[in-house]
Amino acid sequence: MRIARFAARRLLQAVPVLLGVIVVTFVLVRVLPGDPIRTILGPNATEADAAAARARYGLDQPLWRQFLDYVGGLFSGDLGTSIQSGASVASEMAVRVGPTMELVVLAVVIATLLATVLGIWSARRAGRAGDHTLRVLALVGNSLPEFWLGLVLILLAYSVLGWVPAPSGRVDPDTDLTLITGADLLDAALTGNGPAFASAAGHLVLPVLTMVVVIVAPLLRSVRASALEVLGSEAYQAAAAHGLSERTLLRGYLTRAALVRLPALAALVFGFAIGSTVLVEYVFSWQGFGQWALRGLLYRDYPVVQASVVVIALCYTLIFLIADVVHAVLDPRVRI
Amino acid sequence: MSLLDIRDLRVTIGDVQALKGVDLTVGRGEVVGLVGESGGGKSMIARSIVGLLPGAARATGEVLFDGADVLTMDAAALAAHRGGGAAICFQNPRGALSPTRSIGRQLTDRLTTHQGVAAAEARTAAVALFESVGIRSAARRFDHYPHELSGGQAQRVMISLATGCAPGLLIADEPTTGLDVTLTREILRRFREAADEEGRGVLLISHDLASIARVCDRLVVLNAGAVVEHGPAADVLAAPADPYTRALLAAVPDVTRPVARTAATPGGEVVRIEDAHVVYGSRFGSGGHHALRGVSLTVRAGETVGVVGESGSGKSTLARLMLGLITPSRGTVTLAGREPSRLRGRELRDLRRRAQLVFQDPIGSLSPRRTVADAVAEPLRAAGVKAPERARRVTAALERMGLDGTYATRRPHELSGGQAQRVGIARALAGEPDLVVFDEPTSALDVTVQAQILKVIGEVTAERGRGSVFISHDLATVRGVCDRVVVLYLGRIVEEGPVEEVFARPRHPYTKALLAAAPTLAGRADGAGVSLTKDPEEAVPGAGCALAPRCPYAEDACRAEEQELRTLGPVRVACRRAHELPDPPDREGPER
Repeated sequence: MRIARFAARRLLQAVPVLLGVIVVTFVLVRVLPGDPIRTILGPNATEADAAAARARYGLDQPLWRQFLDYVGGLFSGDLGTSIQSGASVASEMAVRVGPTMELVVLAVVIATLLATVLGIWSARRAGRAGDHTLRVLALVGNSLPEFWLGLVLILLAYSVLGWVPAPSGRVDPDTDLTLITGADLLDAALTGNGPAFASAAGHLVLPVLTMVVVIVAPLLRSVRASALEVLGSEAYQAAAAHGLSERTLLRGYLTRAALVRLPALAALVFGFAIGSTVLVEYVFSWQGFGQWALRGLLYRDYPVVQASVVVIALCYTLIFLIADVVHAVLDPRVRI
Repeated sequence: MSLLDIRDLRVTIGDVQALKGVDLTVGRGEVVGLVGESGGGKSMIARSIVGLLPGAARATGEVLFDGADVLTMDAAALAAHRGGGAAICFQNPRGALSPTRSIGRQLTDRLTTHQGVAAAEARTAAVALFESVGIRSAARRFDHYPHELSGGQAQRVMISLATGCAPGLLIADEPTTGLDVTLTREILRRFREAADEEGRGVLLISHDLASIARVCDRLVVLNAGAVVEHGPAADVLAAPADPYTRALLAAVPDVTRPVARTAATPGGEVVRIEDAHVVYGSRFGSGGHHALRGVSLTVRAGETVGVVGESGSGKSTLARLMLGLITPSRGTVTLAGREPSRLRGRELRDLRRRAQLVFQDPIGSLSPRRTVADAVAEPLRAAGVKAPERARRVTAALERMGLDGTYATRRPHELSGGQAQRVGIARALAGEPDLVVFDEPTSALDVTVQAQILKVIGEVTAERGRGSVFISHDLATVRGVCDRVVVLYLGRIVEEGPVEEVFARPRHPYTKALLAAAPTLAGRADGAGVSLTKDPEEAVPGAGCALAPRCPYAEDACRAEEQELRTLGPVRVACRRAHELPDPPDREGPER
């Protein structure tokens, strides 16, 4: 109940944040040098052609008028029309967000679970060979550029070993997958399409693995450091001095206490992961949100840039809300 | 055969010999007090009994528990011995309870591990055990977390956790540090009961000889890692053989001992509080905690006022009020002739420098990254004193506290508790304030150090130009340094008067009870004097006198009408029956 009230309050607080983001992006994309009309019309278009195109996209209106039109559209769910493709931004984005979220959410969840298990394992063996090896490996993974790692993984797992499907597309088109959310794995599960599920999972293995390797290190370090702190704490020592079994100590006195600081960091890592998908998507020909937003920015496609920034801001707000709730659940001292 | 038999235990850590051949026995049903100053090796003994010595430590000798040597036990035997054989009640129970597990679960973990209680029945058993150590509404408390407990409750939970392991030997490491007199008494009684009723051996570790003396059968005095004296408690107290024991005993301030203090002639008013109410609002507006309910108090220059009361009586709130750190929701506070609540910015900061605080935790109240000279110079820097002048005054302030120039460049971790508190006092005095508030300045220190610091405070408070306030739940120290004493109960002053008068002839039932609970070396029989009938948490004050639900003398009229402070002889008392209540027995009168 208290958590629901907290979530409602935080969502209300997000409204002014999102409004601010909308205003700032609206102004910023127009202040940046470059003209979307000139980029689509090419060098041979006449001044009259350009003016006509401008009028078609409403770019001849004064700035405040364009802004009001845009905000008015947002309230009715209209995110505008892409200057580049002429299609509705909302419908273009709908097929783009799913695949990227699928990638990022899976990567962050797997990395967090991995970091929890390995971090605590590592802390309990602090200073021994296993601990050192793990930390060095995590550091190496963190230092690799994701596009290079992606290419190496493709070379190994696809070209040499042939364990995974070719890095093109996200699901085998022969499986007749019905699109619902755009996230193929989820759609396959929802429609009960077994072959599509297997195919989508196969296509996900390498891109998710690439991201996990890159983002797991900071999470692992955090869990290990917290766990070491808990192991050295008076409270843990006291429980150990009362002769509780290793299992009880691990489950009741170490894990939860060590995870208290993880949610906030995981939320940050999630934000970072959204940014780093652009390269991963490129390497794996993943028709995702990052690619689409990048192209929008390169061509000064105002509605696309605005929509993508608002979506990312919304993601951040939601993720940090979730992180705060999880933190409050883990740590009884936190009041929300 | 004794339950615990330590023979010639020597522990070295690196080059330091922490224990130099300790012999100690504890039998079943026996309470043994292990006394000594911090750093003397007391905790090292406790740790070696449960086989938890630090990794770098090397131990020789024997720690025989039921005939088996703990030092040579294998992992499995040790696991059974910890908790089941010997269980420690840790010092600082709040820190020793796991913050992310409910206290009920922490207890059921012990019950299922050591007593083989089935998971389904563990909850019932845990609630019963909580009740037996005096935790009210235990069923509701079961799901609470340690941060929701008060200090006394946390200590009770710690005891229940240790007894929940069903140990043969219960070890209590400084179990009463930071607890007020009534709680100390109650907690120590629990350990006596554990020995008498459950037949456990109990090892009470403390630096405070006075507080544990009356529940112990035998005392063992430890100095610098060696036992200097041991014997039946009464013998050790009556005829201490070793000079160290005598020094320990001499350092204990005794509440029954009248202290000759030259009566100061009070000067002008330093701080005046009139009918102050303080309400701490809860986070969502409704309710709130009424910490002070109409307190009036004046402190004059050259005067030292003691403030005593149980935890939660509003002592610290009163201190913060005097320092201008909080604004009363009703009433006024006048500091050096001005009202802090009416000032802003620079003027307020200037006024705040007129009042300084000496903290309870001497080391924690110094920044670990700054040198001693830096810390002491802080109020001067705030006052805009130039660097050369500042350096001169810092040196002077430190010298007055008996700290020579070599201390100026040290950092807090290089100081002992007593030295750190001297630095804290030097810092408070550096800016030459009109008012110094001492908030339990000695409760974190060893008795011998306590005596030295109290002497320093006595000198400081004797100075004419300044008013002092001394807050403490330790009545004996108040008697030593104060001219006047104010007794607080639930945010109200219940008795006020000259310190000798109040201590020798307490009029209010609450004052009587506090004094009766205060530890003494005289070995006065328990139960003499007044004892309050309930815990403060349980007693919900009604319309009348706030103490009525706990007061043995309460009548219907007490419960109906609120009590005002009335002059009664040399003191003022808020009790309508004060004039007719009997004097407590076994109290010496002041020397006349």
